[in-house]
Amino acid sequence: MAWYRQFRNTLRPNRLQRDLRKELAFHVAERAEELRESGMTQAEAERTAHLQFGNLTAQIERTRDMDIPEYLEAMLRNLRLAVRSLAKAPAFSLTVILTLALGIGANSAVFSAIDAVLLRPLPFPNGDALLLITQAQLKSPEPSVAPIRLEEWNRLNSTLQGITGYDSQDSSELSGELPEKLKHVFAAPRFLQVLGVAPALGRDFSPQEEHFGGPDAAIISDHLWRRRFNGSSDVLRKTLRFGTSSFAIVGVMPPSFQFPDRDVDVWSPSPPDAPYSQSRESTWYTAIGRLKPGVTLAQARDNLMTVQSNLARQFPKPDAEISPRVAPLKESTIGGVRRSLWILFGSVSLLLLIACTNIAALLMSRSTGRQQEIAVRFSLGATRASVAAQQLAEVLVLALVGAALGLLVAMGASTVFRSLARDLPRIEEIGLNWRIVLYCLACALATTLLSGLIPAVRSTRRSLAESLAQAGRSQVSGRNPLQLALVAAQVAFAVTLLAGAGLLLRSFQELGRVYPGFDPRHVLTLHISTGWGETADPKGSKQRMDRILDGLSSLPGVESAASAAMLPGVPNEYQLDLDTSEGRAESEPKMRAYARFVTPSYFATMGIPLHAGELCRDEPGRAGIMVNRSFANHFLGGVAGIGRHLTVPGNAYMTPGEIRGIVGDAREAGLDHEPQPTVYWCNNLLQPGTFFLARTHGEPAAMTETVRRKIHELEPMRSVYDITPLSDHISDAYAENRLRTILLSCFAVTAVSLACVGLYGTLSYLVSLRRREVALRLALGALRNQVVGQFLAVGLRTAIFGCLAGLVLAAGFARLLSGMLFGVSPTDGATIAGVLAIVLAVSAAASLIPAVRAARVEPMQALREE
Amino acid sequence: MGDKKNDILQGTLVLLVLRTLASNKKMHGYAITARIHQVSEELLRVEEGSLYPALHRMEQEGWIKAEWGKTEKNREARFYTLTALGKKRLQQEEESWRRLTEGVARVIRYA
Repeated sequence: MAWYRQFRNTLRPNRLQRDLRKELAFHVAERAEELRESGMTQAEAERTAHLQFGNLTAQIERTRDMDIPEYLEAMLRNLRLAVRSLAKAPAFSLTVILTLALGIGANSAVFSAIDAVLLRPLPFPNGDALLLITQAQLKSPEPSVAPIRLEEWNRLNSTLQGITGYDSQDSSELSGELPEKLKHVFAAPRFLQVLGVAPALGRDFSPQEEHFGGPDAAIISDHLWRRRFNGSSDVLRKTLRFGTSSFAIVGVMPPSFQFPDRDVDVWSPSPPDAPYSQSRESTWYTAIGRLKPGVTLAQARDNLMTVQSNLARQFPKPDAEISPRVAPLKESTIGGVRRSLWILFGSVSLLLLIACTNIAALLMSRSTGRQQEIAVRFSLGATRASVAAQQLAEVLVLALVGAALGLLVAMGASTVFRSLARDLPRIEEIGLNWRIVLYCLACALATTLLSGLIPAVRSTRRSLAESLAQAGRSQVSGRNPLQLALVAAQVAFAVTLLAGAGLLLRSFQELGRVYPGFDPRHVLTLHISTGWGETADPKGSKQRMDRILDGLSSLPGVESAASAAMLPGVPNEYQLDLDTSEGRAESEPKMRAYARFVTPSYFATMGIPLHAGELCRDEPGRAGIMVNRSFANHFLGGVAGIGRHLTVPGNAYMTPGEIRGIVGDAREAGLDHEPQPTVYWCNNLLQPGTFFLARTHGEPAAMTETVRRKIHELEPMRSVYDITPLSDHISDAYAENRLRTILLSCFAVTAVSLACVGLYGTLSYLVSLRRREVALRLALGALRNQVVGQFLAVGLRTAIFGCLAGLVLAAGFARLLSGMLFGVSPTDGATIAGVLAIVLAVSAAASLIPAVRAARVEPMQALREE
Repeated sequence: MGDKKNDILQGTLVLLVLRTLASNKKMHGYAITARIHQVSEELLRVEEGSLYPALHRMEQEGWIKAEWGKTEKNREARFYTLTALGKKRLQQEEESWRRLTEGVARVIRYA
């Protein structure tokens, strides 16, 4: 309370003064009246009262000191003075404010991403207690969990509040005029309890709805509710229609609930007692658990291990091969973005450091120009601390204004992030909040200290201040090694960032240049809605697939059409352990290969050449298999492998197949991955998530409407969606890469510009300081070229020192980046040479202007001025 | 004036002001001086120069609070009242005063 009152008093000094005078005057008046009553005359009484009380003004001052803390008052006075003196130097103030707005803004923007993606818990109540539970199975890459095992784990464990799971598919919703594709999540029981979120409208699923054969129910997402039902509350009496069944809408989730991702539209129960959920082999759930309070991750892991080893005794096959894995859900959501974001944060902090150094150099130039003022203040009795505090106050004012502008930059940043990397996890959570505002403020304080402390301390060095104040006239040559060292530091940081950006840019370029072994241009991809239920009728599913592919390839403008379970060139890690039915010697290497599922037309559509053998056919009873050249050479001794049979031990779904032919190597698992041994299973099965690929003559996007109409004609009950050129998919897959590269390049360019401004400013200042000296030398016959050369040399020497230091830093930075590079080594000579050439050229340009200006001095005029 | 003996010992002013305010509901500065002067049978005289800084410091400490009001003669004055915190403080001050006088008395008697 006292603090608040004192603060208020400090802000209203006039009012306080008036009140004090009134209070003390009252006292004197009362005393005078008493004296008069005791017999004095009016004048005498007043005089005596005043004498007795002492000097009124002094008393007011003494009393006032009790009401106003000195430090607060001094601070306020400093700030007022700072604003006044900054207003007198608008160019300086503006430069500093803009530099800081950029530096703090960029820093806060990256921080807002780090805060949203890495620091904040997932948007669920106590989100840090949520776990992703997967299974590790010998010989199978499948991390998903069988429904029956999920129920057993949930029942038998003692460390988790609950385990649930989900699986999703894109379904065609038929209650509207046209079929609409909706992302439909099938949730195991306890889904909303484990996540800890209740519907905003309506209710959770009832036990009847979670039983097989019970009523079909749906909870819909907030955005589907707004889009389809205009946010009306009678939505709870409406139904959605998928295939032949209609689902009653029983609830609407709040807008913040977007699980498993932001595209989900509908959740429905997946009954654990359904016959298709009883297999111990078929796994399809992504399992989520919630820790009981006070339980650690390790305890939960051990507990689940014990549960599973008990199950393994009961059901040796296949449970003995299975072990549960747990990881924080947040970690698995974020994935590899962590590293990228921290690298960006480091870069942007380096940028802020350059800005601070820049401002420190500017401040030093400015305070040398104010030696007179500082000397006067000292001679009037100011302490060193108060003079330094006054200078810091100036920086603080600038930093606060800069931070406020920086906040605007940070506000715009979420839009930039979203447009640069749509697929970045949790990107929709990036936005402005009080944490960002606080961070901006902290940045302002840090920059104040970083950039203001050295100049404030240096300029108030008493001996220096006095000697310089006197030296003004006779000074011939000033040396300012500290200022030049600061400029060199800026150049060093700029070189570091530019080298990092250069390496990333070169990687990006290399990535675009590599021939992937297939032709990603002129390919249109699309999805057609279908449910897992339909795969129970493989024959019908195959016929449908053939009809769709025939329809697509018959379109004018389409060369050929195919389907594939995964897109080529988009990273994925689906690998299988294989064996041959002909048997293999123990000494031969273990057969492990990427597995892909395609229609026979895939190879022609993607432009992957057939090297040997023939193209596979999807024949009933036995699968046709194609292998790539790497696989054939690595495991089968080349062409000799054709005709052998491959099996997938321990996997009931993968029918053994005969190798029919060998195709060329392609970078199927990502453009930045060398082609790996790959096995293609040829089948025409239409499954949820299957990609259709159509090779077009012209621009693939131009075919969108034609393709949509054709499929609607063939399959009026299905929706067609995600019609996108393959090249867009591939580029989206590298969105994080792109974001990193673009942002780092922006930071690097800004850093180089700042360093140049720093070099230019400091050199200009040196020139102005040595104007008289230059004039004198010119008058004595020095050539103008010599003067230019002299200043240019100072600038270049500084830049070269900076570059050398920068190279050392850049080597460290490149090591951090090494995992993100493609096709260039961290010590790539061309990149480093390019960086040095750019920085030196720009530094030379920045030095040349002040150098030429120095040589233009008119000797007589400059000498006469003083 | 000049009668130094009657000036209040440094540090006891707070005790006297708090005590005076404790038994009187609401007083302005002049009334406090007058009251101390009168109750002490003119033995104690508050030095006016130290009264107001002390009052304002005690206000900042939260022991007393102040508000503007009218005197009987309809003049505007600043009136002080004791707060709960002030009452607690008064107890402490009284206790330490008691110990001080007791100690001094013992020294005078036995030393």
